[in-house]
Amino acid sequence: MGALLWYIPAPLLLLLVGVLVRRGAYRTFPFFFTYVAFGAAADVTRFLTQGHHSLYFWIYWLTDAGYALLGALAMYELLRKVLRGFSHIWWTHLIFPAVVTVGVGLSIWRMHVVPPQLQGPLRLWIVTGEIAVRIVQVFIFAGLVTFIGFFGFRWRQYPLGIAAGFGVYSTVALLTTIKFSDFGTRFRFLWDATSVVAYSFAVLIWIGFFFVPEKEEPPPNPETLAFALGTLNQYLDRLRRMR
Amino acid sequence: MLSSILIWLLLAWSALGLMYFLYRACARVPRHDPKNLVHYLHPVDWDLLESLLDPAADFELRWRLSPREFREEQRCRMRLFRELLRRMSHNSAVLAEFDNALFGKDDFTPGPGSKVEEAAIKVRLYCTAARIKLRVWLSLPDTLRAVPMPDLARLRMAADLDGPKVYEELKAAAVEAFADLQPAELDALTRNL
Repeated sequence: MGALLWYIPAPLLLLLVGVLVRRGAYRTFPFFFTYVAFGAAADVTRFLTQGHHSLYFWIYWLTDAGYALLGALAMYELLRKVLRGFSHIWWTHLIFPAVVTVGVGLSIWRMHVVPPQLQGPLRLWIVTGEIAVRIVQVFIFAGLVTFIGFFGFRWRQYPLGIAAGFGVYSTVALLTTIKFSDFGTRFRFLWDATSVVAYSFAVLIWIGFFFVPEKEEPPPNPETLAFALGTLNQYLDRLRRMR
Repeated sequence: MLSSILIWLLLAWSALGLMYFLYRACARVPRHDPKNLVHYLHPVDWDLLESLLDPAADFELRWRLSPREFREEQRCRMRLFRELLRRMSHNSAVLAEFDNALFGKDDFTPGPGSKVEEAAIKVRLYCTAARIKLRVWLSLPDTLRAVPMPDLARLRMAADLDGPKVYEELKAAAVEAFADLQPAELDALTRNL
């Protein structure tokens, strides 16, 4: 029974996959959809192989690396969606590479200052890579909220819902990953339990956001629009003549 | 040690951001009547804006006035431009809020970003970048004559955005979004923006 608790997110992920398919979100957010589908498949695979120690070891760490990579791609997709109106501004294309550089740099710096208590180079580099991705996710989430709060954005949008889920999970996961690398396997149960709860909460946020269909922006009435644009053009003409 | 501090600061920033995000996502959308929109706007004198950003005006002032008089006059023009930027930024925030109210009438209905929202963000981005530049220029001591007084025309572009152009895009988006207003109200909207 205790072992089953670790797999609570799996049915939630399967539900989320169904919701995303129903909303057609695999077209709008392909990386995020891939991340969720991968997560569901990874959890099922881990569950099926948990009886075979050596196989489970490889499955666990390889799927962990997959989570990290797809999580980073999902954040990149998210950032592109939010900043789509600013793609002509050259420096917006540098934001994601800069954040990744900071994340990787900070993670490697920390690895040298506080060497992780882990056995084996593979696990060491996967955990270091995970820390880097968590830093990227936390950075992007916190940056997005600051940007949205300052410049004014509609809060109830799918990209922001995705950001909130990643924000919850990556904040807790970064904390637990750092502590796991500091203390090794001594507090494994606590870190794993906290991670599961945070991930389940994140999936519930995503289900909550995607469960409600996105409302289409109502098209303006063509007659009133033509009249309104005519008024605007008249006003602009008057201004030009006055100069 | 420093790396740990930075990571903890990042975590704290994220935690605060999450609380703020959940508060805003769950908060009710303010009910605004589009008919009241005009009363929230601060008029932006378009002629004054264009004259302040006109490079010919900068050149004429430099030619006509002594260096000291030019510095004083330019500071006055910068403060005037700063006020116009404040009004443009305020108007963009008001339009975004009314557009949001127009769109988000349901309790929890996710929706995509609208043209007004995108244009409003560009205007605010431009205004923020231009105001930062103005703050730096205005903070330069008057006695520092070795540093030449900058031309206000340079503020036409800030954060890679053409200020007057993005404001015109905002006006057009606002007119399209609030096209259902009465003709007199629509006329007042275009005059007040």
